[in-house]
Amino acid sequence: MSLSTRRQALAATAFLALAFGTAGAKAQDLVVYCGVQEEWCQAMMNAFTKETGIKVAMTRKSAGETYAQIKAESANPKGDLWWGGTGDAFLQAAEDNLLAEYKSPKLGELHPWAQRQATDSGYRVVGIYAGGLGFAVNTEILAQKKVKEPACWADLVKPEYKGEIQIANPNSSGTAYAAIATLVQIFGENPAYDYLKQLHGNIAQYTKSGAAPVIAVARGEASIGVIFMHDAVVQTEAGFPVKTIAPCEGTGYEIGSMAIIKGGPNPELAKKFYEFALTVKGQMTADTAHSYQVQSNVATPLSKFAPRLEKIKLIDYDFKKFGATAERKRLLARWDSEIGSLR
Amino acid sequence: MTKTGKKPGGVEFRSVSRRYGKVTAVDSISFQVEPGTLVTLLGPSGCGKTTTLRMIAGLEAASEGTILIGGRDVTLLPATDRDVTMVFQSYALFPHMNVLDNVAFGLEVSGVSRAQREQQAREGLAMVGLDGYEMRLPSELSGGQQQRVAVARALVLEPEVLLFDEPLSNLDAKLRRKMRDDIRELQLKLGLTSVYVTHDQEEALAVSDKIIVMNKAVIAQEGTPVDLYRRPVSRFVADFMGISNLLDGRLEARRDGRARVVFGEAVLDLADPPLKDDEITVAVRPQAIRVRTEGGPASLPVRVRKATYLGSHLEYVLDSSVGELFAVDPDPHEAVAGGATAFAHFREEGVALVPRTGATAA
Amino acid sequence: MFRSHAIWLVIGWIGWAILPWYAFPTTYPPLLGALPASGLTAGFGGAPWLLPFGLCLALPVPFVVARSRHVGAALVVAGGGGLAWMVLEGFALGLRGWSHPFLADLFGPIGTGQVGMGWGGAATALALLFFLTLGLAARGAMKGDRFTTGAIGFLVATILLFVFWPVTTVFSQAMLPDDGLSGPAALVARLTARDIWSLGCFNGPTRCGVVWNSMLLGIACGLITTVLGLAFALVATRTAFPFKKMMRLLTVLPIITPPFVIGLAVILLFGRNGTVTLFLTQNFGLTGTRWIYGLPGILLTQALAFTPIAFLMLIGVVQGIAPSMEEAAQTLRAGRWQTFRRVTWPLMRPGLANAFLVGFIESLADFGNPLVMGGGYEVLSTKIFYAVVGAQNDPGRAAALGIVLLALCVAVFMIQRRWVGSGSYTTVGGKGFSGTPAELPKPLKWLVYGTAVPWAAFTFLLYGLILYGGFVENWGRNNAFTLRHYVTAFGLDWGVDGLLWTGRVWNSLFTTLEVAGVAAPITAAMGLITAYLLVRQRFAGQATFEFMTMLSFAIPGTVVGVSYILAFNQPPIEFTGTAAILVVCFVFRNMPVAIRAGVASMSQLDKNLDECALTLGATSTQTIRRVIMPLLRPAIVASLVYAFVRAITSVSAVIFLVSARHDMATSYIVGRVELGEFGLAIAYSSALIVLMGLVILVIQWLVGERRIARPSTGVANARPREVAA
Repeated sequence: MSLSTRRQALAATAFLALAFGTAGAKAQDLVVYCGVQEEWCQAMMNAFTKETGIKVAMTRKSAGETYAQIKAESANPKGDLWWGGTGDAFLQAAEDNLLAEYKSPKLGELHPWAQRQATDSGYRVVGIYAGGLGFAVNTEILAQKKVKEPACWADLVKPEYKGEIQIANPNSSGTAYAAIATLVQIFGENPAYDYLKQLHGNIAQYTKSGAAPVIAVARGEASIGVIFMHDAVVQTEAGFPVKTIAPCEGTGYEIGSMAIIKGGPNPELAKKFYEFALTVKGQMTADTAHSYQVQSNVATPLSKFAPRLEKIKLIDYDFKKFGATAERKRLLARWDSEIGSLR
Repeated sequence: MTKTGKKPGGVEFRSVSRRYGKVTAVDSISFQVEPGTLVTLLGPSGCGKTTTLRMIAGLEAASEGTILIGGRDVTLLPATDRDVTMVFQSYALFPHMNVLDNVAFGLEVSGVSRAQREQQAREGLAMVGLDGYEMRLPSELSGGQQQRVAVARALVLEPEVLLFDEPLSNLDAKLRRKMRDDIRELQLKLGLTSVYVTHDQEEALAVSDKIIVMNKAVIAQEGTPVDLYRRPVSRFVADFMGISNLLDGRLEARRDGRARVVFGEAVLDLADPPLKDDEITVAVRPQAIRVRTEGGPASLPVRVRKATYLGSHLEYVLDSSVGELFAVDPDPHEAVAGGATAFAHFREEGVALVPRTGATAA
Repeated sequence: MFRSHAIWLVIGWIGWAILPWYAFPTTYPPLLGALPASGLTAGFGGAPWLLPFGLCLALPVPFVVARSRHVGAALVVAGGGGLAWMVLEGFALGLRGWSHPFLADLFGPIGTGQVGMGWGGAATALALLFFLTLGLAARGAMKGDRFTTGAIGFLVATILLFVFWPVTTVFSQAMLPDDGLSGPAALVARLTARDIWSLGCFNGPTRCGVVWNSMLLGIACGLITTVLGLAFALVATRTAFPFKKMMRLLTVLPIITPPFVIGLAVILLFGRNGTVTLFLTQNFGLTGTRWIYGLPGILLTQALAFTPIAFLMLIGVVQGIAPSMEEAAQTLRAGRWQTFRRVTWPLMRPGLANAFLVGFIESLADFGNPLVMGGGYEVLSTKIFYAVVGAQNDPGRAAALGIVLLALCVAVFMIQRRWVGSGSYTTVGGKGFSGTPAELPKPLKWLVYGTAVPWAAFTFLLYGLILYGGFVENWGRNNAFTLRHYVTAFGLDWGVDGLLWTGRVWNSLFTTLEVAGVAAPITAAMGLITAYLLVRQRFAGQATFEFMTMLSFAIPGTVVGVSYILAFNQPPIEFTGTAAILVVCFVFRNMPVAIRAGVASMSQLDKNLDECALTLGATSTQTIRRVIMPLLRPAIVASLVYAFVRAITSVSAVIFLVSARHDMATSYIVGRVELGEFGLAIAYSSALIVLMGLVILVIQWLVGERRIARPSTGVANARPREVAA
C-alpha cells in the first residue's frame, strides 16, 4: 500500500507540476502575432532583431485566428503586437477595444490609404501594405478550352466560365467579404447581389480560405479565381501558368495592418517594432521574402513583381463603413440567405 | 510447505447485510466459523451464498453489520489487507504466467524473496501432486490440474481463512469426488479455517464440519451434516437436502412428548416435534421406505408404477393416496414388480416433520 | 495504513508553507528571502484568503498522529473543506481584485488581486484532494481501497478542471445576448438556425442543414472504417495471407501522417488536373470533373485516416476470442460459416460497436480533411472553425454549433451502449485457453481479401507518391529530382559554437516531440486507469463520469482550443502559452481512445483474475501492474501509439494553443499548405512519418507482447504470434 501511495503521489505530482509549474513566459521578449506568410514573418523578425537586438517570439496565424485569440486573451493579454493580415480583423479588434492607441511620428511618411486606416480607427491601427483584388487565371486551361480570359467583373457571369470559377466563402474568408464589399461599392447593393446570384451558377466551389482559389488555379483545379493579386504573383513566380488580371470596372483592396495590443506585457518594445515596421528598411523585407504587396511607406521602392496599383483602377474603398461589425453582419446574412443557401 | 504455527482464525458475521440498490442479496445474517473447521454455505443459485463468501474475502463491502476474522473487525478492510485467500470457480489462473509464477504470486506481492517463494511454491505444488509442472502455462493443463494449481496458490500463503467458491463445478464427477476428498484431507491436515460455497448437497455433506443452508438472502438452517440431514427444520431445507418425499400430514394425540403422525392410511408414533400447528409436512427420505407385499398399521398402500433394478439397490416410483413417492430399497432380494400393489413401510429415523408452510422453524 | 496519510500531510504542508504559492512573481513577502512567497508568508502578508488552507492542513494532524478511529472523518472534513475554499477564493479573486462586481458590492473593495497558482498551490490542492479520498477510503468507500478512491478522486478532479470547466466556459457563450435578443432567446435562435437543420435539399432549392451533412458523413465513415478495420484484423489473424506484415505496416501509415498530406495526395491524384484524372482524360476521352471535392473526397481521406484506428481496436478483440469457443461451436456441428456467424461475430460485437463509435466521432470532429477536400460540402467542424476565426467572428454561433455536435456524439454513444447491451463477452478466462483460431469460411475469406488487399494497395500507392513528392521540384509541374525541400527543412551547419540547426523546421519538431513524448504515457496511463474504474468498479455517478471522459473527444478541437484559452488564461489557473497547456490538451483529448481500447480489452478479462490477485494480498497497483497490464498489452500499445501520434498530427486545437516559443509541426505544415509550398510540407511530413514509425516500433518493443498460449503447431498455421504492426 505504501508502494501504491508513493506511485500515485509521484504520478500525480509530476502531472500537476507539468500543468501548473511551467506557466509564465520570459518577460523581456517581444511577442508578435504575425499575419502574413511565414517567410516574410521570419525575414521581418530577423531584420528587427538585427537592427535593435531585441528578441522576438513570433507566432504566425491568419488574421481571423489572431483576432479570436486576442479576444480570448483579453482578460490577460499575452501578445504585444499584431503585425500583418487583412485590415478588417484589425478594425473589428479596434472596435472591440482590444488594441492600444498609438500615434507614430512616421505617419506623415505613409501613403494616404495607410494614414486613413489610422484615423478611421482612432489611431489604434495603421496600414503597412496594400493589395488589390483581382482575378488569377490559368492560361493553359483557358487556352485548352479556347475561352477568352475575363477582363471585367461583368465577364465572370458569362456562360463559358460555368463551373470554372472559385471564390472563397465570405462567411469564412475576409478576401471574399472584401470582394462583396467592392461589388456593392461599384454597382450598388441590390445590383451587386443580383450579380452574385448570377455568378453562383458559374462557381465551382466556395473555398473556405481566401488564398485557396489561387492554389486551385495554379494546380488547374479551377481556371479562374477571385483573389488578392499579390497572392497570384507568387504562383506565377513559382512556375505555374497563372496570369493576374485587374478587373476593368475597378477593384477594391485590403490594407494589411499593424496594431499594438492593449495591455500587452511589453508596450515599450512594441512601439520600437511599430516604428521599425514603418521604415523603408523594415518594409524592404517583403521583397526578399517573395511578398509583393505595395508597402505603406511612400519611399519604399516597389518590387518589380508587384502588381502596380497605379495601373489598377482602385475604387475609393470605404473601410470605415464596410469594416464595421454591424454592416458586415448584415451583408453576410444577406449573402447567406440569398446565395449561400442555394444548392 | 512447512507449517509456521500461525493460528487459523475464525470468522464471525454479526447482522451483516448487502444491498444493491433496492435488491437485498444478503439480509442481516449472523453466523460463526470456528477456527480450524470447514463450513459450507449451501443453497440454490441466487440465495446470497457467493455474496457472503465475497464479503469474507473483502471483494464485496457489507452494507450493514460487522465482519470479524480472527476476532478482529475487518468490515472496512480491503481485500488486499485481509489474510484470506480464495479458490475461484473459474480458477482465475493468470494466463500469462506459468504455474510456478501463479503459485508464487501471492508470496511475491507480499515481498518474499525469490528463492524462498519458489521453494514454497514448489512445496505447495508437491502438496497437490503437481511437481514437475512448474514451467507449464495454464493453457497447457487439464481442468483438474488447473484446479489444483488454484488450490496450491491459495494454500501457500497460509491464510487465516481459505475460501472456496464452487471449486469443483467445472470438473467431471469422478474427478470431483477425488478433489473434494483431497481438499478435505488438506484442510484437516493443515488445520485450516475454510468456508466453502456449493449448491451440491452431497458435496456439502462430504466435506463439512458445519453446513449453513441459505435461501433468499437469509440463513434457512445451520448445523452439522447429520443435523441437517436428520432434522431439517423446514420444507425448503428438507427438499434441498435431498429428502424428496414431502407429504401432507397431521399430528394427533400430542402428549407426553409423543404424537401420532397421520398421513393417508399410515399412522406413525413419533416424538412430538416442537411445532405449533397440527397440520404438518412429513418429509421422508427415499432410503427410509421399504416396499413390501404385506401391510401393517404404519404402512401406506401403494401401487408400484416403476421399479428399477440397479445392482446394489432398487429404485421405486410409487403412487399413493397422498401422492407420488420415490423410494430406494437397499434390499433387492424382495423386489416388487412394476404394476403390482404393495405397502410402503417407513423407518422412523428417515422421517422428519416440518411446518406445512414457511421456510423457517418455529 | 497511516503511512499514506502522513505522506500527503507532508506534501500539503510543504506546498502551503514552503513552495511558491503563485506561478508569477508577486509583491507578497518571500520566505527566507530566497523563495517567492509561499501560502504561509503571503497569507500573513496581505493575502489572508490563503490562511484557511493552513487550518485545513492542521486539522487532521492530531488524528493521524494519534491513529485515531476518526481519522477518516477528519480527513474528509479537511480535504473537502479545503478544496471548496480553494474553488471559492480562486474564482472570487481575479487579477485585479474581485472578479465580479457584486462581490465588491458585498464585501467592499479589495486592494490586491492574485495571479495563477504555482507549485505551492498545486501541491496543496493535490494534498487536499487526497485527504478527501483517503478519508473516504478509511470510512469504507470503494471497499476501503485507497488506490481506487484516490484514482477516482484524481480523475474526477482533473476532468472537471480540464474538460468540464473549459467546455462550460465556451458553451456559456452560446447564451450571450445578441441583436437585442436576451440570453435564452439568443440560445434558441442559434440552436434552431436554418443552416443547421434545413432539409432544403430534399424539398426545395436550398442546401441541406449542416447537421444532416455531418450525420451522413459520420455514419458512412464509421461504417467504412469499421468494415475495413475488421477486414484487416481478420486477414491479420485468421488467414494465411503471405504479406501480412507489410499490410499491417501500411494500415498504420495513415495514422502517423500529418493532416492535409493525405488530402493533398488525393487531390494530386484525383483532382481535375490530378495524375489519375489526366491519365483517364487523355486515354479514354473522359472529361475531368471535381467529383473528389465534397462528400466522396472527405470520405475517402477520412477512411484512409481512421481505418487504422479501427484496425488497432479490432485486432485486440479478434485475437481475444478464445479459439476453444469456436472449436466448441465446430464440434457442435456448426460449419465454419455458422461458427463465424453465431459465435465469433457476436463476440466481436462490443469491439465493433466501439470501433464504429470512434470512427463516427473522429469523423465528426475531424477538421483537416473536410477543410481540404470539402468543396462546398459543409460539416459542423469546419463551420465551427470559421464561426470562430472566419469573417463572422461569432463565438456564440460556434458554441451553439458545438452543442449540436456534442449532442450528436452523445446520441450515437447512447445507441452504441444499447446495442452492445449487458451481455457477457468475457473470453479470456482464468482457465487459460488453447486451440487454434478457426480459419475463415472461404467466401468470407475472399470477401475479406477483396476488401483489404485493394485498400492496402491504394494506401501503398498514395504513400509512394507522398514520398516521391518530397523529392521533386514542384509536383505536377516540374518533376525534376531535388533535395532542396529537405535541405530547407532539415539543414544543419557547423558554426563556431558547433552544430547549427539552420533548417526551418527544427524548432517546431523539437517542441512537437517533447510535447508528444510527455503526453503519450500520461494519456495511456490515465486512460487505462479510467477503463479499469469503468469496467471493474462500481460507484455512484459512474455513468456521468464515463460521459465526461468522452466529452473532450466529442468536441471539435477548435472549440477546445478556444475554450482552453478562455479558461486558462487567468487565475486561478493560468498557463496559456506554455508547453504544458499543449500536453494537458492532448492528454484529455486523446484519453477517450485509450479508455475505449482499455474498456474493450478489459471486458474480455475475467473479473475473477484481478479479484484473485487482491485476495492473494496484491494491492490494486500490483494487480494492475502484474495481472491486468500484461494481459492488456495490445490495448497499451494502441493507447500509447495513438496518444503519441495524435499529439503529433492533430491540428485543430493546436492552432489556438501554439505560441511563439512552442510551435507545433502541424501548424507549421498547415501554413506551408496554405501557401502552396507543397514540396516543403511533404518533405516535413515524410520525415515525421518515418520518425513516428520508428517511435511505434520502439513502443512495441518496450511494451512487449501478451503471451497466454504457446504458438501451436495445429493445422491452421495461420495462427499469428502476436506480431505487431
